[in-house]
Amino acid sequence: MASQLVWLIFLLPFLSFAVISLVVRPFLNGSARLSGYIAIAAIGGSLALSLLVLQEVIRAPGHELLIPRVTWVVIGTTELDLGLLVDSLTAVMLVVVSGVSLLVQIYSQGYMHGDAGYSRYFAFMSLFTGSMLGLVMADNLLQLFVFWEGVGLCSYLLIGFWFHRPSAANAAKKAFIVTRAGDFGLLVAILALYASSQAGTLNIKELHLLAETGALGGTFLTWAAIGIFAGAAGKSAQFPLHTWLPDAMEGPTPVSSLIHAATMVAAGVFLVARMFPLFEHSSQALATVAVIGAFTAIFAATMGLVAPDIKRVIAYSTISQLGYMMLGLGMGSVAAGIFHLFNHAFFKCLLFLGAGSVNHATGTFDMRQMGGLRRRMPWTFFTFVIASLSLAGIWPLSGFWSKDEILAVAFQGNFILFLLALATVFMTAFYSFRVIFLTFAGSYRGGASAGAGHGSQGDGHGAPSLHESPAVMVVPMVALSVMAIISGWFNLGGEFSGFLGEKAHPLGFFGALANPLALLSLGVAVAGIVAAYGVYGARWVSAEGLGRAFAPLYNVFIHKYWLDELYETVFVRWFLYTFIFGLMELFDTYIVDGLVNGAASLALGGGRALRRLQTGQLQAYGMAIFLGVLALGLIMVLIR
Amino acid sequence: MPFPILTTIVFLPALGAVVLALLPRPGDRLVRYTAATFTFITFILTLLLFQSFDQKLGTMQFRERVPWISSLNINFDLGVDGLSLTMVLLMGILGFLAVLISWKVEKRVREYFIWLLLLEMGVLGVFLSLDLVLFFLFWEVELMPMYMLISIWGTGRKEYSATKFVLYTLTGSAFMFAGILVLYFSTGQFDMTVLSAMRLSENGFPREILPAAAVFFLLFAAFAVKLPIFPLHTWLPDAHTDAPTAVSVILAGILLKMGGYGMMRLNISIFPGVARDYAPLLVLIAVIGVLYGAAVTLRQRDLKRMIAYSSVSHMGYVLLGIFALSPVSLTGATLQMFSHGVVTGLLFAMVGLVYDKTHLRDIHKLGGLSRQMPIIAVIFSIAGLASLGLPGTSGFAAEFLVFLGSFQSQAFPGIQLYTALGVLGVVLTAGYMLYMLQKVLYGEPKPEFDDTRDADFLERVPIFALTALIIAVGLYPASLTNVISLGVMPIVGRLGF
Repeated sequence: MASQLVWLIFLLPFLSFAVISLVVRPFLNGSARLSGYIAIAAIGGSLALSLLVLQEVIRAPGHELLIPRVTWVVIGTTELDLGLLVDSLTAVMLVVVSGVSLLVQIYSQGYMHGDAGYSRYFAFMSLFTGSMLGLVMADNLLQLFVFWEGVGLCSYLLIGFWFHRPSAANAAKKAFIVTRAGDFGLLVAILALYASSQAGTLNIKELHLLAETGALGGTFLTWAAIGIFAGAAGKSAQFPLHTWLPDAMEGPTPVSSLIHAATMVAAGVFLVARMFPLFEHSSQALATVAVIGAFTAIFAATMGLVAPDIKRVIAYSTISQLGYMMLGLGMGSVAAGIFHLFNHAFFKCLLFLGAGSVNHATGTFDMRQMGGLRRRMPWTFFTFVIASLSLAGIWPLSGFWSKDEILAVAFQGNFILFLLALATVFMTAFYSFRVIFLTFAGSYRGGASAGAGHGSQGDGHGAPSLHESPAVMVVPMVALSVMAIISGWFNLGGEFSGFLGEKAHPLGFFGALANPLALLSLGVAVAGIVAAYGVYGARWVSAEGLGRAFAPLYNVFIHKYWLDELYETVFVRWFLYTFIFGLMELFDTYIVDGLVNGAASLALGGGRALRRLQTGQLQAYGMAIFLGVLALGLIMVLIR
Repeated sequence: MPFPILTTIVFLPALGAVVLALLPRPGDRLVRYTAATFTFITFILTLLLFQSFDQKLGTMQFRERVPWISSLNINFDLGVDGLSLTMVLLMGILGFLAVLISWKVEKRVREYFIWLLLLEMGVLGVFLSLDLVLFFLFWEVELMPMYMLISIWGTGRKEYSATKFVLYTLTGSAFMFAGILVLYFSTGQFDMTVLSAMRLSENGFPREILPAAAVFFLLFAAFAVKLPIFPLHTWLPDAHTDAPTAVSVILAGILLKMGGYGMMRLNISIFPGVARDYAPLLVLIAVIGVLYGAAVTLRQRDLKRMIAYSSVSHMGYVLLGIFALSPVSLTGATLQMFSHGVVTGLLFAMVGLVYDKTHLRDIHKLGGLSRQMPIIAVIFSIAGLASLGLPGTSGFAAEFLVFLGSFQSQAFPGIQLYTALGVLGVVLTAGYMLYMLQKVLYGEPKPEFDDTRDADFLERVPIFALTALIIAVGLYPASLTNVISLGVMPIVGRLGF
């Protein structure tokens, strides 16, 4: 396959962005649908090429394709190049990103139908996908960072897609700034790696080699790896930089599904996997990743238990699942982490599309206004249940397999982290089925008041008429639900792990049911589902009663541990803005500028004072001259 | 004798000013078209100059040297290298666009454009002069038009701001003039290229009057005020706030760069040893400027003041790149000067448009404009994103090179820590830029702006042109860095790292 075709994988969506924003929108805005077709065609092309690349990479020796490089900037001996690194990790990511994005964009045609920003939406979606595809193919850290920021930009543009809503504009800004705080670490790590590697390289393969040969090592390597992880934690919404993701719900729901499944948040996990040799050679860095991952997993799950908004529950589940992936990576297994990313992409995308479909019908995301949708929206219900079972980790759906691998590596690595992960399994199953029972079971609790009252909360889908979504939305959901069932089977014989260069200990399709660890996690998950049924389905105990019984915990969870308040009010508003920056402003006005104006006043005042000497009276001048001569004469006499 | 292209470039705007002055009772249209014609031809000439510049030669090119005051060894001496070429090109672009941006000036039109053209001549002269006396003359020439433009066509406390600007700059110039005289009396030279080759900081002066470090700082004072560095920056927000739009564009776009250019051309070239000795101090000031400027920006509520303070922060990157003293950092600093010129020029143009339409600059009173003025909103956003260093825009390429060059610099141990602190500035920049964009453009549309209009055709030309330039340089910075590094390499060579 010609190397130009590989470049096309990410250039096609960029081209689509350019055509839509420079041609279709200014000149052909009457035919907005065209934008959707262009974007879908471009992503379809990318997917086809990605599949070809995957096939070639599987065949290639060492699972890597060599692509010629292009020079970007040369200054003296410093040369910055552009190049593509296409190995097994890249190939997997390419297929996931372009595949999920294609389905999301097809779905979006129905979902965004009639929106004033239809063309703009597809332009941004193309740019988003193109940036993510470019990110996973980058062969050096500068290029990776360029696309990394590109992904950040697109999430900013898409979260704030309905920019006239103050909440959306706020959420977009928050996402960009919080992730940029993490990017600070990444950027410094990139600079440090460049400055410290003898040859001055940002090439990822060369950096791997430097870490493996020990040329990079010790405390320096640890800090560089932690800097990289800071960037990853920002993008992948790991504690303490997770706060932007729940707010990112303000974007259109298909955007959420793309962000949560394949683009944005996957970038952080991918980055750690991509730079894994650097982590591998620093036990502290690896431990940091594992601990943050495990903590984030359970931490986010607790908030998912109580959130009343369907999208927020799914968002917390994403943060939690990303924590699992980081845990897998931190325990030393790239394959476990990436395999979970792979499976998660499909069922998480599906969950969001399902939530979008529900909103399409009800006009709200508040589960307290739903209920009984099972009969009205059978396809949505059916696919949603599959996705939830997969997320909860029920055999033989995809989530079961990859979650089990992570639990297995955690079990071998650190028992405390394993227990955290196991507890999270229970919570995951519980909140997933809480959503199902609240949304689809029982009877409809929304109704007449829903239409107007929630217009601002929903995605602009006004009067609810409780219908199944159109085929253009349902078909992608069905396709994803097939993947949510079978995608876990790619590693039944350890094929997926082997492709990523790791030896796996496959359990086998039925063998898993005989494995004690797998049985334990399965049992815990089932317990979670039963508990959810008990509270929200059969109502053996009332949810309100539980909330009252555990009021302190409930308050902590529902207020998101007050971290938003801590960051935004205490740290940013009070400490930074009012105190530090305020002092600086006072300093600027009264000290720095005060001195300048003071100097001017001094000159003016001095001038006024001196002016009094210029009386214009000849007698006075004569007197002064006389005195001066006298003084000079005296001095001369004295010096002699 | 070859065609004296540099002389032509410098004096063509002045010729335009003379023509404008001599036109008998011209209508405003004629005045505008005349100004546009002269600045456009100047722009084309700077493009031609860029085209015909030999991109393999690291020396002065197109040198024109005519004895002027022979008894004092003063020459009319022009020349261009990679550094000055970039700045001249920037002036050529902004000079023409400034005329377009000023198209709707209605007050004393002829005078306005005369001053604007003279301003362009002064700036071009500064960048092309190789003789210190000539350099100083052009440096001073630029003050008069600025004073007039701010105090007559400005808004608010315009006389105060204009006076402050002129007095502040003059104070700096006085130090520089003393420095130039000391240089002359201790070497007998006004020629920058000869002075640079004398290696004064290693070999010492032929006749020492003052220590090299003292002369270094005499010259530095003028550039420090101009750039401006912390804490000599307070003239800038005032001048910007009260200047008319096009003058803000020129001021932020190119006048500030005279400071950075002077530091490279005189301070580092002539006194590399002193530059090395004082690099830690100056890098520290640079980092303070970056963070301090960004912090104070966040506290402003006037759009122009915000962008003015953001310039203080961005010029901190320039200072950092210059005194990190590595080839990459110096190239990055120069690219940052170009990029900041285009980006901040565009930002001021956008603020000008918003102000024209709404008569407001207070971010708490503006809001939701993207519905009423979609084109302005898009371009304003792109400018803001470029300013916060988004990849794909010139801002990223420049900042990244500054950081990379500073991080690998051997100027002094520990510079990595300073650079890392400087990188922290990009988070703050993202903070204030997105905050500003949100306040002005997003959120609920306000009914009081329902009658406003989006940018018309004439207004679109300059802002589209600048946007295209930002993205072009961002995607392929080598188009400029190849030229810049030619100018930087000889300077770095003298540093002897």
